Amino acid sequence: MRLEMGHIYIRDIQFAAESKIADGVLYVSEEALKAVVLEDEKLKSVSFDIAKPGESVRITPVKDVIEPRVKVEGRGGQFPGVIAKVDTVGEGKTYALKGMAVVTAGKIVGFQEGIIDMTGPGADYTPFSQTLNLVMVAEPVEGLKQHDYEAAVRFAGFRVAVYVGELARELTPDEVKVYETPTMMEGLKLYPDLPRVAYVQMLQSQGLLHDTYVYGVDAKKILPTILNPTETMDGAIVSGNCVSACDKNPTYVHQNNPVVEDLFAQHGKTLNFVCQIITNENVYLADKMRSSDWTAKICKMLDLDGVIVSQEGFGNPDTDLIMNCKKIEAEGVKTVIITDEYAGRDGKSQSLADADVAANAVVTGGNANEVVILPKLDKVIGTLDYVNKIAGASEDTLRPDGSLEVELQVITGATNETGFLKLSAR
Amino acid sequence: MCIVPFFITLAQERNGAMREKYYILTNNPMVAGKLSEDHKVVFMELSFEEILKEARSRIHSGQSLLTHPLSGSVKPNETPYKSLLIGEAKPTTEELAFTLELIETAIAACGKFRAKGDKYAQDFQLIDYTLIKSAVESADMGI
Repeated sequence: MRLEMGHIYIRDIQFAAESKIADGVLYVSEEALKAVVLEDEKLKSVSFDIAKPGESVRITPVKDVIEPRVKVEGRGGQFPGVIAKVDTVGEGKTYALKGMAVVTAGKIVGFQEGIIDMTGPGADYTPFSQTLNLVMVAEPVEGLKQHDYEAAVRFAGFRVAVYVGELARELTPDEVKVYETPTMMEGLKLYPDLPRVAYVQMLQSQGLLHDTYVYGVDAKKILPTILNPTETMDGAIVSGNCVSACDKNPTYVHQNNPVVEDLFAQHGKTLNFVCQIITNENVYLADKMRSSDWTAKICKMLDLDGVIVSQEGFGNPDTDLIMNCKKIEAEGVKTVIITDEYAGRDGKSQSLADADVAANAVVTGGNANEVVILPKLDKVIGTLDYVNKIAGASEDTLRPDGSLEVELQVITGATNETGFLKLSAR
Repeated sequence: MCIVPFFITLAQERNGAMREKYYILTNNPMVAGKLSEDHKVVFMELSFEEILKEARSRIHSGQSLLTHPLSGSVKPNETPYKSLLIGEAKPTTEELAFTLELIETAIAACGKFRAKGDKYAQDFQLIDYTLIKSAVESADMGI
Protein backbone atom coordinates (compact mmCIF):
# COMPACT_ATOMS: atom_id res chain seq x y z
CA MET A 1 0.00 0.00 0.00
CA ARG A 2 1.39 3.39 -1.03
CA LEU A 3 0.37 6.73 0.43
CA GLU A 4 1.67 10.08 -0.72
CA MET A 5 1.48 12.65 2.09
CA GLY A 6 1.45 16.27 0.95
CA HIS A 7 2.43 18.73 3.67
CA ILE A 8 1.04 22.24 3.52
CA TYR A 9 2.68 24.50 6.07
CA ILE A 10 0.40 26.89 7.94
CA ARG A 11 2.20 29.90 9.46
CA ASP A 12 -0.83 31.84 10.73
CA ILE A 13 -4.55 31.46 11.44
CA GLN A 14 -6.95 34.41 11.22
CA PHE A 15 -10.70 34.73 11.49
CA ALA A 16 -12.14 36.16 8.26
CA ALA A 17 -15.40 36.52 6.35
CA GLU A 18 -14.42 33.79 3.92
CA SER A 19 -12.61 30.52 4.66
CA LYS A 20 -9.52 29.88 2.52
CA ILE A 21 -5.81 29.11 2.68
CA ALA A 22 -3.53 31.61 0.94
CA ASP A 23 0.25 31.96 1.22
CA GLY A 24 0.38 29.67 4.22
CA VAL A 25 -2.30 31.58 6.13
CA LEU A 26 -5.51 29.86 7.15
CA TYR A 27 -8.38 32.36 6.97
CA VAL A 28 -11.42 30.84 8.58
CA SER A 29 -14.99 32.03 8.94
CA GLU A 30 -16.14 31.72 12.52
CA GLU A 31 -19.75 31.62 11.34
CA ALA A 32 -19.04 28.73 8.99
CA LEU A 33 -17.25 26.83 11.77
CA LYS A 34 -20.17 27.39 14.14
CA ALA A 35 -22.58 26.07 11.54
CA VAL A 36 -20.45 22.92 11.16
CA VAL A 37 -20.54 22.30 14.92
CA LEU A 38 -24.16 23.23 15.55
CA GLU A 39 -25.56 20.93 12.87
CA ASP A 40 -25.67 18.53 15.82
CA GLU A 41 -28.76 19.47 17.80
CA LYS A 42 -27.18 18.10 20.98
CA LEU A 43 -24.87 21.11 21.05
CA LYS A 44 -26.39 24.40 22.17
CA SER A 45 -23.55 26.81 21.49
CA VAL A 46 -19.92 26.92 20.50
CA SER A 47 -17.10 29.44 20.60
CA PHE A 48 -13.83 29.47 18.69
CA ASP A 49 -10.52 31.01 19.60
CA ILE A 50 -7.00 30.97 18.19
CA ALA A 51 -3.95 30.25 20.36
CA LYS A 52 -0.50 30.81 18.91
CA PRO A 53 2.92 29.61 20.09
CA GLY A 54 4.47 32.07 22.55
CA GLU A 55 1.19 33.72 23.54
CA SER A 56 0.28 33.95 27.23
CA VAL A 57 -2.60 31.50 26.80
CA ARG A 58 -3.65 28.38 28.71
CA ILE A 59 -6.10 25.94 27.08
CA THR A 60 -7.96 23.66 29.52
CA PRO A 61 -9.63 21.20 29.87
CA VAL A 62 -8.43 19.78 26.55
CA LYS A 63 -10.39 16.88 25.12
CA ASP A 64 -8.78 16.12 21.77
CA VAL A 65 -6.24 17.54 19.32
CA ILE A 66 -6.71 16.88 15.61
CA GLU A 67 -4.65 17.68 12.51
CA PRO A 68 -6.78 18.81 9.54
CA ARG A 69 -6.24 16.56 6.51
CA VAL A 70 -7.96 15.94 3.20
CA LYS A 71 -7.99 12.88 0.97
CA VAL A 72 -7.33 14.06 -2.56
CA GLU A 73 -6.77 10.72 -4.33
CA GLY A 74 -7.56 7.12 -3.48
CA ARG A 75 -10.21 5.25 -1.58
CA GLY A 76 -12.25 6.67 1.26
CA GLY A 77 -12.08 9.92 3.17
CA GLN A 78 -10.86 11.27 6.49
CA PHE A 79 -11.98 9.43 9.66
CA PRO A 80 -13.58 6.43 7.90
CA GLY A 81 -16.55 4.97 9.73
CA VAL A 82 -16.81 8.14 11.80
CA ILE A 83 -17.09 11.07 9.36
CA ALA A 84 -16.37 9.52 5.93
CA LYS A 85 -18.16 6.35 4.87
CA VAL A 86 -16.50 3.07 5.75
CA ASP A 87 -13.81 2.26 3.20
CA THR A 88 -10.23 1.07 3.54
CA VAL A 89 -7.99 4.13 3.63
CA GLY A 90 -4.22 4.54 3.58
CA GLU A 91 -3.46 4.60 -0.14
CA GLY A 92 -3.45 7.36 -2.75
CA LYS A 93 -2.79 10.95 -1.80
CA THR A 94 -3.56 12.89 1.39
CA TYR A 95 -2.75 16.50 2.26
CA ALA A 96 -2.08 17.56 5.86
CA LEU A 97 -2.05 21.08 7.28
CA LYS A 98 1.22 21.09 9.20
CA GLY A 99 1.93 23.47 12.06
CA MET A 100 -1.68 23.74 13.18
CA ALA A 101 -4.29 21.76 15.06
CA VAL A 102 -7.95 21.78 15.97
CA VAL A 103 -8.23 21.53 19.75
CA THR A 104 -11.52 20.61 21.42
CA ALA A 105 -11.89 21.85 24.99
CA GLY A 106 -14.58 22.13 27.62
CA LYS A 107 -16.01 20.28 30.57
CA ILE A 108 -17.47 16.82 30.06
CA VAL A 109 -17.06 15.78 33.69
CA GLY A 110 -15.97 17.88 36.63
CA PHE A 111 -12.51 16.44 37.14
CA GLN A 112 -11.48 16.48 33.53
CA GLU A 113 -8.08 17.64 32.30
CA GLY A 114 -5.57 18.43 30.46
CA ILE A 115 -3.61 21.60 29.95
CA ILE A 116 -1.87 23.14 26.93
CA ASP A 117 0.20 26.22 27.82
CA MET A 118 1.36 28.24 24.82
CA THR A 119 4.24 29.82 26.76
CA GLY A 120 6.27 29.40 29.95
CA PRO A 121 7.46 26.20 31.61
CA GLY A 122 4.23 24.34 30.76
CA ALA A 123 4.86 24.90 27.07
CA ASP A 124 8.11 22.98 27.42
CA TYR A 125 6.16 19.83 28.29
CA THR A 126 3.45 19.73 25.62
CA PRO A 127 4.11 19.31 21.90
CA PHE A 128 0.90 21.26 21.22
CA SER A 129 2.45 24.51 22.46
CA GLN A 130 4.24 24.52 19.10
CA THR A 131 1.14 24.36 16.90
CA LEU A 132 -1.21 27.16 15.90
CA ASN A 133 -4.35 25.99 17.67
CA LEU A 134 -7.90 26.58 16.51
CA VAL A 135 -9.72 25.93 19.76
CA MET A 136 -13.37 24.90 19.97
CA VAL A 137 -15.42 25.03 23.18
CA ALA A 138 -18.92 23.59 22.73
CA GLU A 139 -21.75 23.64 25.26
CA PRO A 140 -24.43 20.94 25.38
CA VAL A 141 -28.18 21.44 25.39
CA GLU A 142 -29.67 21.22 28.84
CA GLY A 143 -30.05 17.74 30.29
CA LEU A 144 -27.69 16.04 27.82
CA LYS A 145 -26.02 13.01 29.39
CA GLN A 146 -22.21 13.06 29.58
CA HIS A 147 -21.91 10.09 27.21
CA ASP A 148 -23.86 11.92 24.53
CA TYR A 149 -22.04 15.18 25.19
CA GLU A 150 -18.65 13.45 24.90
CA ALA A 151 -19.67 11.87 21.59
CA ALA A 152 -21.12 15.14 20.26
CA VAL A 153 -17.91 17.07 21.02
CA ARG A 154 -15.79 14.26 19.60
CA PHE A 155 -17.72 14.21 16.30
CA ALA A 156 -17.84 18.02 16.12
CA GLY A 157 -14.05 18.22 16.42
CA PHE A 158 -13.66 15.81 13.50
CA ARG A 159 -16.19 17.74 11.39
CA VAL A 160 -14.29 20.97 12.03
CA ALA A 161 -10.97 19.31 11.12
CA VAL A 162 -12.51 17.94 7.91
CA TYR A 163 -13.98 21.37 7.06
CA VAL A 164 -10.57 23.02 7.51
CA GLY A 165 -8.75 20.20 5.70
CA GLU A 166 -11.03 20.53 2.68
CA LEU A 167 -9.72 24.09 2.18
CA ALA A 168 -6.43 22.51 1.09
CA ARG A 169 -7.89 20.21 -1.58
CA GLU A 170 -6.80 22.29 -4.58
CA LEU A 171 -3.48 23.49 -3.14
CA THR A 172 0.02 22.36 -4.09
CA PRO A 173 1.87 20.85 -1.12
CA ASP A 174 5.07 22.47 0.16
CA GLU A 175 6.58 19.02 0.70
CA VAL A 176 5.68 15.48 -0.34
CA LYS A 177 6.60 12.28 1.54
CA VAL A 178 5.88 8.77 0.29
CA TYR A 179 5.10 5.86 2.61
CA GLU A 180 4.89 2.39 1.14
CA THR A 181 4.63 -1.09 2.58
CA PRO A 182 4.85 -4.14 0.31
CA THR A 183 2.65 -7.20 0.69
CA MET A 184 4.05 -10.04 2.83
CA MET A 185 5.41 -11.98 -0.16
CA GLU A 186 6.81 -8.88 -1.86
CA GLY A 187 8.48 -7.86 1.40
CA LEU A 188 10.19 -11.25 1.72
CA LYS A 189 11.55 -10.99 -1.83
CA LEU A 190 12.60 -7.35 -1.51
CA TYR A 191 14.30 -7.58 1.86
CA PRO A 192 15.28 -11.23 2.42
CA ASP A 193 18.10 -10.32 4.82
CA LEU A 194 16.38 -7.64 6.88
CA PRO A 195 14.67 -8.36 10.19
CA ARG A 196 10.87 -8.41 9.98
CA VAL A 197 9.55 -5.83 12.42
CA ALA A 198 6.01 -4.76 13.32
CA TYR A 199 4.52 -2.12 15.57
CA VAL A 200 2.10 -3.33 18.25
CA GLN A 201 -0.06 -0.41 19.32
CA MET A 202 -2.17 -0.80 22.45
CA LEU A 203 -5.35 1.30 22.47
CA GLN A 204 -7.23 2.69 25.49
CA SER A 205 -10.55 0.83 25.76
CA GLN A 206 -12.13 1.02 29.21
CA GLY A 207 -15.17 3.31 29.25
CA LEU A 208 -16.30 6.95 29.10
CA LEU A 209 -13.31 9.25 28.46
CA HIS A 210 -11.15 6.10 28.19
CA ASP A 211 -12.09 4.90 24.68
CA THR A 212 -10.62 4.68 21.17
CA TYR A 213 -12.34 3.94 17.88
CA VAL A 214 -11.00 2.02 14.87
CA TYR A 215 -12.92 2.65 11.63
CA GLY A 216 -15.77 3.70 13.92
CA VAL A 217 -15.65 0.51 16.02
CA ASP A 218 -15.24 0.81 19.79
CA ALA A 219 -11.77 -0.68 20.42
CA LYS A 220 -13.16 -2.61 23.43
CA LYS A 221 -14.97 -4.81 20.93
CA ILE A 222 -12.12 -5.57 18.56
CA LEU A 223 -9.91 -8.61 18.42
CA PRO A 224 -6.27 -7.73 17.75
CA THR A 225 -5.81 -7.18 14.05
CA ILE A 226 -3.35 -5.85 11.50
CA LEU A 227 -3.34 -2.53 9.67
CA ASN A 228 -1.24 -0.99 7.00
CA PRO A 229 0.53 1.75 8.96
CA THR A 230 -0.63 4.33 6.42
CA GLU A 231 -4.28 3.69 7.37
CA THR A 232 -3.80 5.62 10.59
CA MET A 233 -2.54 8.62 8.60
CA ASP A 234 -6.04 8.93 7.10
CA GLY A 235 -7.75 8.83 10.49
CA ALA A 236 -8.50 5.11 10.83
CA ILE A 237 -7.91 5.40 14.60
CA VAL A 238 -9.46 8.26 16.56
CA SER A 239 -9.33 9.22 20.21
CA GLY A 240 -12.23 9.22 22.66
CA ASN A 241 -10.04 9.59 25.74
CA CYS A 242 -8.29 12.36 27.63
CA VAL A 243 -7.66 11.30 31.27
CA SER A 244 -4.81 11.28 32.32
CA ALA A 245 -3.81 13.75 29.63
CA CYS A 246 -0.07 13.13 29.78
CA ASP A 247 -0.07 9.62 28.36
CA LYS A 248 -3.19 9.48 26.21
CA ASN A 249 -3.03 9.66 22.44
CA PRO A 250 -5.05 12.51 20.98
CA THR A 251 -6.18 11.86 17.40
CA TYR A 252 -3.25 14.05 16.24
CA VAL A 253 -0.82 11.45 17.66
CA HIS A 254 -2.54 8.62 15.77
CA GLN A 255 -2.28 10.67 12.56
CA ASN A 256 1.40 11.46 13.24
CA ASN A 257 2.53 8.42 15.22
CA PRO A 258 6.32 8.74 15.66
CA VAL A 259 6.79 4.96 15.99
CA VAL A 260 5.24 4.54 12.54
CA GLU A 261 7.27 7.48 11.20
CA ASP A 262 10.57 6.12 12.56
CA LEU A 263 9.90 2.56 11.39
CA PHE A 264 9.17 3.89 7.91
CA ALA A 265 12.45 5.84 8.05
CA GLN A 266 14.32 2.54 8.61
CA HIS A 267 12.12 0.49 6.25
CA GLY A 268 14.21 -1.21 3.58
CA LYS A 269 17.44 -0.02 5.23
CA THR A 270 17.86 -1.73 8.59
CA LEU A 271 14.50 -3.52 8.84
CA ASN A 272 11.40 -4.60 6.96
CA PHE A 273 8.41 -2.76 8.47
CA VAL A 274 5.80 -5.47 8.00
CA CYS A 275 2.65 -3.97 9.51
CA GLN A 276 0.93 -2.36 12.46
CA ILE A 277 -0.88 -4.62 14.94
CA ILE A 278 -3.53 -3.05 17.13
CA THR A 279 -4.85 -4.44 20.39
CA ASN A 280 -6.89 -3.13 23.32
CA GLU A 281 -6.66 -2.54 27.09
CA ASN A 282 -9.95 -3.78 28.50
CA VAL A 283 -11.01 -3.93 32.15
CA TYR A 284 -12.15 -7.58 32.10
CA LEU A 285 -9.23 -9.93 32.76
CA ALA A 286 -10.43 -12.59 30.31
CA ASP A 287 -10.40 -9.93 27.58
CA LYS A 288 -6.78 -9.17 28.45
CA MET A 289 -5.94 -12.86 28.21
CA ARG A 290 -7.66 -13.20 24.83
CA SER A 291 -6.17 -10.05 23.34
CA SER A 292 -2.61 -10.78 24.46
CA ASP A 293 -2.93 -14.39 23.20
CA TRP A 294 -4.08 -13.10 19.82
CA THR A 295 -1.40 -10.43 19.61
CA ALA A 296 1.33 -13.00 20.25
CA LYS A 297 -0.32 -15.42 17.81
CA ILE A 298 -0.37 -12.78 15.04
CA CYS A 299 3.31 -11.97 15.68
CA LYS A 300 4.15 -15.66 15.31
CA MET A 301 2.01 -16.14 12.19
CA LEU A 302 3.73 -13.18 10.54
CA ASP A 303 7.17 -14.71 11.28
CA LEU A 304 8.28 -11.48 12.90
CA ASP A 305 11.75 -11.04 14.33
CA GLY A 306 10.87 -8.10 16.53
CA VAL A 307 8.13 -5.70 17.58
CA ILE A 308 7.89 -2.33 19.21
CA VAL A 309 4.98 -2.22 21.68
CA SER A 310 3.50 1.10 22.76
CA GLN A 311 1.17 1.40 25.73
CA GLU A 312 -1.56 4.01 26.23
CA GLY A 313 -2.19 4.99 29.84
CA PHE A 314 -1.02 3.30 33.03
CA GLY A 315 -2.16 0.98 35.81
CA ASN A 316 -4.66 -1.35 34.15
CA PRO A 317 -2.75 -1.18 30.80
CA ASP A 318 0.54 -2.02 32.57
CA THR A 319 -0.87 -5.53 32.89
CA ASP A 320 -1.73 -5.70 29.16
CA LEU A 321 1.73 -4.37 28.33
CA ILE A 322 3.52 -7.04 30.32
CA MET A 323 1.18 -9.82 29.12
CA ASN A 324 1.85 -8.77 25.52
CA CYS A 325 5.59 -8.58 26.14
CA LYS A 326 5.82 -11.98 27.86
CA LYS A 327 3.68 -13.82 25.33
CA ILE A 328 5.31 -12.25 22.25
CA GLU A 329 8.80 -13.01 23.63
CA ALA A 330 7.67 -16.58 24.36
CA GLU A 331 6.96 -16.94 20.63
CA GLY A 332 10.60 -16.09 19.92
CA VAL A 333 9.91 -12.51 18.85
CA LYS A 334 12.02 -9.76 20.44
CA THR A 335 10.18 -6.85 22.03
CA VAL A 336 10.94 -3.26 22.89
CA ILE A 337 8.20 -1.72 25.03
CA ILE A 338 7.38 1.97 25.40
CA THR A 339 5.69 3.11 28.60
CA ASP A 340 5.78 5.97 31.10
CA GLU A 341 6.17 5.93 34.86
CA TYR A 342 4.10 6.73 37.95
CA ALA A 343 7.00 6.64 40.35
CA GLY A 344 5.57 9.05 42.94
CA ARG A 345 6.41 12.73 43.39
CA ASP A 346 9.88 11.81 44.65
CA GLY A 347 10.40 9.25 41.88
CA LYS A 348 11.13 6.51 44.39
CA SER A 349 8.04 4.31 44.02
CA GLN A 350 7.58 1.31 41.74
CA SER A 351 7.19 2.79 38.24
CA LEU A 352 4.82 0.25 36.73
CA ALA A 353 1.99 -1.80 38.20
CA ASP A 354 3.43 -4.92 36.59
CA ALA A 355 6.84 -6.21 35.50
CA ASP A 356 8.58 -9.27 34.08
CA VAL A 357 12.10 -10.34 33.15
CA ALA A 358 11.00 -10.57 29.50
CA ALA A 359 10.61 -6.78 29.57
CA ASN A 360 14.34 -6.21 29.23
CA ALA A 361 14.18 -3.45 26.61
CA VAL A 362 12.07 -0.56 27.90
CA VAL A 363 11.75 3.03 26.74
CA THR A 364 10.12 5.50 29.15
CA GLY A 365 8.26 8.73 28.48
CA GLY A 366 9.10 10.08 31.95
CA ASN A 367 7.60 10.25 35.45
CA ALA A 368 4.02 11.51 35.29
CA ASN A 369 4.04 12.26 39.05
CA GLU A 370 6.78 14.88 38.68
CA VAL A 371 5.63 18.23 40.06
CA VAL A 372 5.80 21.42 38.01
CA ILE A 373 4.69 24.99 38.73
CA LEU A 374 2.78 26.64 35.91
CA PRO A 375 2.69 30.45 36.29
CA LYS A 376 -0.51 32.42 35.80
CA LEU A 377 -1.07 33.23 32.13
CA ASP A 378 -3.01 36.22 30.77
CA LYS A 379 -5.77 34.31 29.06
CA VAL A 380 -7.58 31.02 29.62
CA ILE A 381 -9.47 29.31 26.80
CA GLY A 382 -11.96 26.92 28.35
CA THR A 383 -12.12 27.24 32.13
CA LEU A 384 -9.99 26.89 35.25
CA ASP A 385 -13.12 26.02 37.28
CA TYR A 386 -12.19 22.35 37.33
CA VAL A 387 -8.44 22.59 37.53
CA ASN A 388 -8.34 21.47 41.16
CA LYS A 389 -10.05 18.28 40.07
CA ILE A 390 -7.96 17.21 37.15
CA ALA A 391 -5.79 14.12 37.54
CA GLY A 392 -2.47 15.05 39.06
CA ALA A 393 -3.93 18.12 40.73
CA SER A 394 -5.01 18.59 44.33
CA GLU A 395 -7.12 20.98 46.40
CA ASP A 396 -4.19 23.42 46.59
CA THR A 397 -3.39 23.25 42.88
CA LEU A 398 -4.69 26.74 42.09
CA ARG A 399 -2.51 28.99 44.25
CA PRO A 400 -3.42 32.53 45.42
CA ASP A 401 -1.13 34.15 42.85
CA GLY A 402 -2.92 32.30 40.05
CA SER A 403 -0.12 29.82 39.41
CA LEU A 404 -0.77 26.09 39.34
CA GLU A 405 1.12 23.38 41.21
CA VAL A 406 0.50 20.21 39.26
CA GLU A 407 1.95 16.88 38.32
CA LEU A 408 2.97 16.29 34.70
CA GLN A 409 -0.13 14.12 34.39
CA VAL A 410 -2.31 17.13 33.68
CA ILE A 411 -0.32 18.35 30.69
CA THR A 412 -1.56 17.06 27.36
CA GLY A 413 1.05 14.74 25.85
CA ALA A 414 3.74 15.35 28.52
CA THR A 415 4.76 11.67 28.90
CA ASN A 416 3.26 10.29 25.69
CA GLU A 417 4.04 6.61 25.17
CA THR A 418 4.49 6.73 21.40
CA GLY A 419 7.35 9.20 21.84
CA PHE A 420 5.24 12.16 20.69
CA LEU A 421 6.55 14.36 23.51
CA LYS A 422 9.13 16.95 24.45
CA LEU A 423 10.88 15.16 27.33
CA SER A 424 14.17 13.56 26.44
CA ALA A 425 17.17 12.01 28.16
CA ARG A 426 19.49 13.22 25.47
CA MET B 1 -19.55 -0.74 56.82
CA CYS B 2 -22.96 -1.58 55.44
CA ILE B 3 -24.01 -4.42 53.17
CA VAL B 4 -27.20 -3.94 51.26
CA PRO B 5 -28.76 -7.39 51.10
CA PHE B 6 -31.58 -6.24 48.82
CA PHE B 7 -29.28 -6.09 45.83
CA ILE B 8 -27.94 -9.55 46.50
CA THR B 9 -31.26 -11.30 46.92
CA LEU B 10 -32.85 -9.64 43.94
CA ALA B 11 -30.15 -10.69 41.54
CA GLN B 12 -29.26 -14.10 42.85
CA GLU B 13 -32.22 -15.80 41.21
CA ARG B 14 -31.69 -14.10 37.86
CA ASN B 15 -28.03 -15.00 37.92
CA GLY B 16 -28.78 -18.69 37.94
CA ALA B 17 -28.68 -19.16 34.17
CA MET B 18 -25.34 -17.44 33.68
CA ARG B 19 -22.37 -19.49 32.61
CA GLU B 20 -20.05 -18.17 35.25
CA LYS B 21 -21.50 -16.81 38.43
CA TYR B 22 -20.11 -13.48 39.32
CA TYR B 23 -21.12 -10.48 41.32
CA ILE B 24 -20.15 -6.84 41.42
CA LEU B 25 -18.34 -5.69 44.55
CA THR B 26 -18.67 -1.92 44.77
CA ASN B 27 -18.70 1.15 46.96
CA ASN B 28 -20.39 3.12 44.18
CA PRO B 29 -24.10 3.80 44.76
CA MET B 30 -24.63 4.51 41.05
CA VAL B 31 -23.40 1.01 40.15
CA ALA B 32 -25.66 -0.50 42.79
CA GLY B 33 -28.60 1.55 41.52
CA LYS B 34 -28.14 0.91 37.81
CA LEU B 35 -26.86 -2.66 37.67
CA SER B 36 -28.65 -4.41 40.51
CA GLU B 37 -31.78 -5.05 38.47
CA ASP B 38 -29.98 -7.52 36.21
CA HIS B 39 -26.90 -8.40 38.21
CA LYS B 40 -25.87 -9.43 41.64
CA VAL B 41 -24.36 -6.44 43.41
CA VAL B 42 -22.65 -6.34 46.79
CA PHE B 43 -22.58 -2.72 47.86
CA MET B 44 -20.37 -1.76 50.80
CA GLU B 45 -19.78 1.69 52.20
CA LEU B 46 -16.00 1.48 52.19
CA SER B 47 -13.16 3.67 51.02
CA PHE B 48 -11.35 2.98 47.74
CA GLU B 49 -8.52 1.22 49.54
CA GLU B 50 -10.88 -0.70 51.82
CA ILE B 51 -12.89 -2.03 48.89
CA LEU B 52 -9.65 -3.33 47.34
CA LYS B 53 -8.78 -5.00 50.66
CA GLU B 54 -12.27 -6.48 50.81
CA ALA B 55 -11.71 -7.92 47.32
CA ARG B 56 -8.37 -9.34 48.52
CA SER B 57 -10.10 -11.09 51.43
CA ARG B 58 -12.61 -12.59 49.06
CA ILE B 59 -9.84 -13.85 46.76
CA HIS B 60 -8.13 -15.41 49.78
CA SER B 61 -11.39 -17.08 50.70
CA GLY B 62 -11.52 -18.87 47.33
CA GLN B 63 -13.23 -16.50 44.92
CA SER B 64 -11.82 -15.09 41.65
CA LEU B 65 -10.99 -11.57 40.64
CA LEU B 66 -12.36 -11.00 37.13
CA THR B 67 -11.48 -7.34 36.48
CA HIS B 68 -8.38 -5.23 36.79
CA PRO B 69 -8.34 -3.35 40.11
CA LEU B 70 -6.58 -0.33 38.57
CA SER B 71 -9.13 0.19 35.80
CA GLY B 72 -9.48 3.76 34.66
CA SER B 73 -7.06 6.63 34.61
CA VAL B 74 -8.70 8.35 37.54
CA LYS B 75 -6.14 7.27 40.08
CA PRO B 76 -6.58 5.47 43.39
CA ASN B 77 -7.65 7.98 46.03
CA GLU B 78 -8.39 10.60 43.37
CA THR B 79 -11.73 8.93 42.91
CA PRO B 80 -13.47 7.53 45.99
CA TYR B 81 -15.25 4.86 43.92
CA LYS B 82 -14.21 1.40 42.79
CA SER B 83 -16.18 -1.53 41.43
CA LEU B 84 -14.82 -5.01 40.74
CA LEU B 85 -16.24 -8.23 39.32
CA ILE B 86 -15.75 -11.22 41.59
CA GLY B 87 -16.29 -14.76 40.32
CA GLU B 88 -17.76 -17.31 42.67
CA ALA B 89 -15.83 -20.18 41.07
CA LYS B 90 -12.52 -21.11 42.68
CA PRO B 91 -9.54 -19.85 40.67
CA THR B 92 -6.73 -22.11 39.48
CA THR B 93 -3.43 -21.80 41.34
CA GLU B 94 -2.03 -19.77 38.46
CA GLU B 95 -5.05 -17.44 38.39
CA LEU B 96 -4.88 -17.05 42.14
CA ALA B 97 -1.22 -16.01 42.04
CA PHE B 98 -1.86 -13.61 39.14
CA THR B 99 -4.88 -11.89 40.68
CA LEU B 100 -3.37 -11.68 44.16
CA GLU B 101 -0.42 -9.87 42.66
CA LEU B 102 -2.77 -7.50 40.83
CA ILE B 103 -4.73 -6.67 43.97
CA GLU B 104 -1.63 -6.28 46.15
CA THR B 105 -0.05 -3.93 43.61
CA ALA B 106 -3.27 -1.92 43.44
CA ILE B 107 -3.44 -1.60 47.22
CA ALA B 108 0.21 -0.51 47.28
CA ALA B 109 -0.51 2.10 44.59
CA CYS B 110 -3.13 3.80 46.76
CA GLY B 111 -0.41 5.66 48.65
CA LYS B 112 1.04 7.11 45.44
CA PHE B 113 -1.79 9.48 44.69
CA ARG B 114 -3.27 12.35 46.64
CA ALA B 115 -6.78 12.12 48.01
CA LYS B 116 -9.41 14.51 46.71
CA GLY B 117 -12.72 15.82 47.94
CA ASP B 118 -16.05 14.61 46.73
CA LYS B 119 -17.23 17.76 44.99
CA TYR B 120 -17.67 15.84 41.77
CA ALA B 121 -18.93 12.63 43.34
CA GLN B 122 -21.55 12.09 40.64
CA ASP B 123 -18.95 12.36 37.88
CA PHE B 124 -16.55 9.99 39.65
CA GLN B 125 -19.45 7.55 40.11
CA LEU B 126 -20.30 7.83 36.42
CA ILE B 127 -16.76 7.03 35.25
CA ASP B 128 -16.50 4.06 37.62
CA TYR B 129 -19.92 2.90 36.38
CA THR B 130 -18.87 3.02 32.69
CA LEU B 131 -15.63 1.16 33.49
CA ILE B 132 -17.36 -1.71 35.29
CA LYS B 133 -20.20 -1.76 32.76
CA SER B 134 -17.67 -2.46 30.01
CA ALA B 135 -16.50 -5.48 32.03
CA VAL B 136 -20.05 -6.62 32.75
CA GLU B 137 -20.80 -6.55 29.02
CA SER B 138 -17.75 -8.74 28.39
CA ALA B 139 -18.62 -11.07 31.26
CA ASP B 140 -22.18 -11.52 30.04
CA MET B 141 -20.94 -12.54 26.57
CA GLY B 142 -19.11 -15.60 27.86
CA ILE B 143 -16.88 -16.87 30.59
